[in-house]
Amino acid sequence: MTAAVLTTGDPSGSPEHAPAGAPAQAGSRLRGLRRLPLTVWLSIAVLLLVLAFSLAPGLFTSADPAVGVPDRKFTPPGWQYLLGTDHLGRDLLSRIIHGSASSMTSALIAVAIGVLVGGAIGLVAGYAGGWADAVLGRLVDVLLAIPSFLLAVVVVTALGYDTRNAAIATGVSAVAVFARLMRAEVLRVRTSVFIEAARLNGGSDAYILIRHVLPNAVRPVLSLAVLQFGLAILTIAGLAFLGYGDPPPASDWGLLVADGREHLLHAPWLVIAPGLVIAIVVLSVSRLSRFIDTERNR
Amino acid sequence: MIALKRVGQAVLVIALAYVLVFLVLAAIPGDPVSAQLENPQAGYSEAEKAQIRSFYGLDKPVLVQLLISIGNALRGDLGISLSTSAPVSSTIGEAIPSTLALAATALVFALLIALILGFASQSLGEGRLGGLVRSLPTVFLSTPNFLIGLVLIQVFAVQLGAFSIIDPETAGSTAFAALTLAIPVSAQIAQVFITALDTTTALDHTEVALSRGLAPVRVFARHLLRPSLLPTVTVCGLVVGELLGGSLITETIFGRAGIGTVVQKAVTSQDVPVLQAAVVLSAAVFVGVNLVIDLVLPLLDPRLRAPREAS
Amino acid sequence: MTRPVGPAPVGPAPVGPAPVGPDVTRRRLLRGIGAGALGLAALPLAGCALEAAHAAGGSETPEDELTFLISNLDGGWVPSKSAISSYEANVWQQLTDKLVHTDEKGTITPWIAESWDVASDSTEFTLHLKDGVTFSDGTALDADAVVANLDVWAKGRPDAGIAKVGLFPGSTYDGAEALDERTVRVRFTAPSLSFLPTLGYHGCLLLSPDSVARSLGEQSDLAHQIGSGPFVLDSWAASDHVTLVRREDYDWAPPVLGRSGAAALRRITFKVLPDDTLRASAARAHQSDVSYNVNPQVLDSFTEAGFTIEVPRYLGFTHGFRVRTNVAPFDDVRVRRAITRGIDRDEILRTVFTKDWESATSWLQSSVPEAEDHSDLFPFDPDSAARLLDDAGWTGRSEDGYRTKDGTELAFTLYPTPYLTGSVPEAELISQQLGRLGIRVATQKIDVAAYSGKVEDNPDQGLAEVTRSFVDAGTVAGVITADGEDWFALGDSDERLADLAGRVAGTADRTERAGVIDELSQHVLEQAYFIPLEQNVQRIYVQTPELSGITVNAVAIPSYHAATKTGSGADGTGADA
Repeated sequence: MTAAVLTTGDPSGSPEHAPAGAPAQAGSRLRGLRRLPLTVWLSIAVLLLVLAFSLAPGLFTSADPAVGVPDRKFTPPGWQYLLGTDHLGRDLLSRIIHGSASSMTSALIAVAIGVLVGGAIGLVAGYAGGWADAVLGRLVDVLLAIPSFLLAVVVVTALGYDTRNAAIATGVSAVAVFARLMRAEVLRVRTSVFIEAARLNGGSDAYILIRHVLPNAVRPVLSLAVLQFGLAILTIAGLAFLGYGDPPPASDWGLLVADGREHLLHAPWLVIAPGLVIAIVVLSVSRLSRFIDTERNR
Repeated sequence: MIALKRVGQAVLVIALAYVLVFLVLAAIPGDPVSAQLENPQAGYSEAEKAQIRSFYGLDKPVLVQLLISIGNALRGDLGISLSTSAPVSSTIGEAIPSTLALAATALVFALLIALILGFASQSLGEGRLGGLVRSLPTVFLSTPNFLIGLVLIQVFAVQLGAFSIIDPETAGSTAFAALTLAIPVSAQIAQVFITALDTTTALDHTEVALSRGLAPVRVFARHLLRPSLLPTVTVCGLVVGELLGGSLITETIFGRAGIGTVVQKAVTSQDVPVLQAAVVLSAAVFVGVNLVIDLVLPLLDPRLRAPREAS
Repeated sequence: MTRPVGPAPVGPAPVGPAPVGPDVTRRRLLRGIGAGALGLAALPLAGCALEAAHAAGGSETPEDELTFLISNLDGGWVPSKSAISSYEANVWQQLTDKLVHTDEKGTITPWIAESWDVASDSTEFTLHLKDGVTFSDGTALDADAVVANLDVWAKGRPDAGIAKVGLFPGSTYDGAEALDERTVRVRFTAPSLSFLPTLGYHGCLLLSPDSVARSLGEQSDLAHQIGSGPFVLDSWAASDHVTLVRREDYDWAPPVLGRSGAAALRRITFKVLPDDTLRASAARAHQSDVSYNVNPQVLDSFTEAGFTIEVPRYLGFTHGFRVRTNVAPFDDVRVRRAITRGIDRDEILRTVFTKDWESATSWLQSSVPEAEDHSDLFPFDPDSAARLLDDAGWTGRSEDGYRTKDGTELAFTLYPTPYLTGSVPEAELISQQLGRLGIRVATQKIDVAAYSGKVEDNPDQGLAEVTRSFVDAGTVAGVITADGEDWFALGDSDERLADLAGRVAGTADRTERAGVIDELSQHVLEQAYFIPLEQNVQRIYVQTPELSGITVNAVAIPSYHAATKTGSGADGTGADA
């Protein structure tokens, strides 16, 4: 939902940042790690946990996410069901855990599309310049002009409603920001002295691109990618909430909120729990992204 | 001259958005008209089917349809809805006031929240409390707005009876819908605002002014607020897109009959002309607002004129 | 925005004039301003909330006005078209009168027709009309007006694109004539037992001859529909609202309503609110008097909160699946029977619905006079269901544990009907239950617009949910035969079914026909052409407990003529009682 404005990835490549929480010094990698702020540790822990949920949901819950005990419907959170049960007596915690894989994979797909397609566009536009830059620049302008969530809705409508397509649509809506960043980075690097040197030494365009331009652009793109990963989770959840993802018994987080919405009056945990899970995961990703960003600019 | 060039660029972007959306939507298999025609109970003859399809222009190749559509759009004719047969312009037109009220209120709220966060960030310094305030924008940005909206309705409408659910266009209802939309948007403005304030605060002239015994409020207004306004106004233009995109979910949750709801309906009924018009309208609003900001900002701040022209 | 809330707004900041170091000064200055700003900005938010709270509190509906929340009124106002809609019918019932009133048990009582004579072979009917009835535009509701209406119900106006009323026995309709101002004779070419009860069906509403004669386009405007009912149109806007006001000179309510003269309520507002959750929330916040169709799973919490829940049942078919028997795997009677026996109807009732719902006992609602209890023909028996599937050759198992035969998985998709609240969780539960038998059942939510294409008219969709009302059981003949709707996609292949259906349609004696209908029901259930689920409750009304005096008809549509909210004219304090 939120992609047009970013905390990182200022196109000029010289973002100004709020002072970081940790007093940091250049030092060995190991010392830097030990000095990670607590919030960053927490964020990493959250993301590792969700990653573990996605890879091996069976380790964390034995309850079947798709089949419940109907007579235990709407059990409030308690010892037996930590997050309560839904309208068919299904364990909500189990559904959230089993929904992680789909939510995480979708966000990864979206970011991958953004990085690859957007990166390629930015690379070509920035390096080639001339009319290629002009044409691709207009395309990026157009993509930026359409509100990103609306763009995602249009694309998922054209592709058909399911979670994979929602992920692709989210990726398409993120292409422009990556293209813009990549182009700026390439322009910055291209004019630097060592590229001139490489060119004078007779390196081919492709070689220079891969050997010199790309590696220098990796860090800012990575930082943006992490941030976009969080935003992609939100966008995909929004699409699922509106019913553009897989239907139940799938348990994507956004879908869980949409399903629980009808029962907000008498079973509020069905909305609050998955909603907070989304918020916490996105918050963790954002924290991490901000951290990477400040490290980069040190 | 430069203004003219920028207007030209904006128009080009909107036109290209029109084409792009048309081509993407052309990929949708089927359309509501054909679905209706093929319904055996409707009992249309082949000739009648062909006639109706040609009325909607559905019998022509996509590119021809595109050219016709552009031609009509230039004459101000946005076509007719495939599902309700009403003119697209009136379908969209009727929905605009609702979304406008929502988005404008949300922008005001977002600015207010950003203002509070900005001042709080400066006054609380970099201690624990200040850190908390500085992390609020990230929290706001990370919270799904459907969660915010649902909780607001549950608490304020159902528990406290603070606003009307059945009449979502009332002031109270609009205020809460706007708040839902404003929270993530305010975060983006606040982030830029706080950064700008930080930069300004670090400058010497603030302290000089204070030590000279100027009235604090005036110092704040002249030395802190004004220099920080420029980046803030710029980011306001950018969040217009968020306001329009976010209205889709907000309007759904609050039951408002705005552009977002029109888009939702058009999506479920595959009503391409309506969807097309709504998306291009959003793009036009975004481009237009940012164009105006681009043109007006240099007038506000002479320092901006030179570098802008150079770029 | 008037009441100051929160800390005092920014004034001249209380910064001491004492000469302190610049850094300290700045800190203090900023802190003061920050706190002030917080309070300042909290003002509009809190103010708006307060203002809104006052507005909401002050605008409670007066006692003689009714607010009715409904999910949509988009079906159009052409009477024959909207007749099938359970939504618009709520409006029509207040705007228009009918010739007779048919109650929930199928009993016919007088309304505009004071009495009637029936020829012994049920081919000729004479209706005697009430005197002095007028439409709201002043024209008389006389014999000529009734004939004009009957002709359209029976035949429609195909040249003008206006359809006939679906349930009216139009194929045997021979014509109607006005014998005098208050007497109408209606003739049929064959015995038509369903004629009289159908007159009470929500499609057979009496409109002024002028309205009946209008074009399709004009009829879509509710303002052009002039009825003779206890309420008249005040205003309406598509997808938004319909407001009705009391007709002061109304004096011909059916006696069963228990009130004469004008209606007790002065005004009824039907407000469209498509979102199920918002409708429930609005009801919970006491912003409406009646909320139509709220998710059954939420109802218990409304009962606890003191609301009245009305779940009137219509005469008609139970909720269930009709099976297209030419679609695999449903072409095998053993599979159909296995599905029938694999569904735990008690669990559905306990989980998805409340105690107001009951299990189906046949494929007809138990309130239909001809319906007998045949629940022994579709017991919940997973063991025998599993054996049936084994016998049918579905003995293999796929990777996911579902049954296979020759490499094909036993699987199908359900599209829960958008016409029934609760159908989505019900389908999910059925999917769970049949999953235990080794049948993979996918569920896909679908909206009204897409439903007919995907399910009702899609010859490849094996199971289609039925939510169909009727006022006379003779209707069943029309839906199952090859020249009718051919529900089971049998064509003429089942001779016994065709024979029974023919006898239902052609019998002139009600008792004899009841026997045939029962035979037909047994045959349908034995062959599992129809998989019953529960007694259909298609209309759920969540009401404020103050509301009383509501009468529902055979198709479970309420009349608000005699309705009151406590204190407003319950005992004849109304203007005209």
